[in-house]
Amino acid sequence: MFRRRVRRGRSGTYELRIGTEERDVLRTLPGQLRELLVGGDRLEDPALRRLYPAAHLDDPAAAAEFDELAREELTAGRMEAIDTMLRTIDAPSLTGDELAAWLGAINDLRLMLGVRLAVTEESAAQDFAGDPEAEGTFELYGYLSMLEEEIVEALSDDVEGAGAFGAPPVV
Amino acid sequence: MSQPAPVEVDRPAGDHDVTSDVPWIVVVWNDPINLMSYVVYVFQKLFGYPRAKATELMLDVHHKGKAVVSEGTRERCELDVARLHSHGLWATLQRSR
Repeated sequence: MFRRRVRRGRSGTYELRIGTEERDVLRTLPGQLRELLVGGDRLEDPALRRLYPAAHLDDPAAAAEFDELAREELTAGRMEAIDTMLRTIDAPSLTGDELAAWLGAINDLRLMLGVRLAVTEESAAQDFAGDPEAEGTFELYGYLSMLEEEIVEALSDDVEGAGAFGAPPVV
Repeated sequence: MSQPAPVEVDRPAGDHDVTSDVPWIVVVWNDPINLMSYVVYVFQKLFGYPRAKATELMLDVHHKGKAVVSEGTRERCELDVARLHSHGLWATLQRSR
């Protein structure tokens, strides 16, 4: 039985039908992302390199200059999304801006977890069998993918028309 | 495949203002994490593309490994890359030729 967790309500708000157990999992996540953003090694940590990719492929000097100019604002935006998600983690409904912040934080979290798991487009649960921690992380990654898919679908109604992708395939 | 090999990218010829009228392009690269629906949503939101166009670009990224999503001055392209990075997409800019 499938019940949508994210639904557009009247007056431009979005109803969040997420149970307590799920919210208790969700509330632990933004802090992990914040820890990466403030404490991670920007040169060595692959998750950070994925969140702040080089803007120029074969011009390291230009890429470094871009990073210098863009990084602070990029981090500030990510922190703001984290703060918004934490502040509204128990809210029954969200504004469009708040839901967009959830989407940003959740997508960043998926990038962080996906890089740590080294997922591919074909990754499946059995790939992580035998490693309980990785199994749990992959399960969480899958849950966030499903939730993100629902958020995107709800927000896409605003962007243009309605559109339903089925399962969440990756690019 | 978390870092798909960047291939066949034209080498920027230099970095000087003399050629600042040469258009730049913004390229989005395939990655195994971002959801297809999310990428379509981001293209629509950031560039105002109709859903069909955004979907076509997303499918190019998915099947061909990359797609050019915008073009213009270097400054304009830098701004677009920053906005794409803030949405978690893997984007780069380069001279169009």
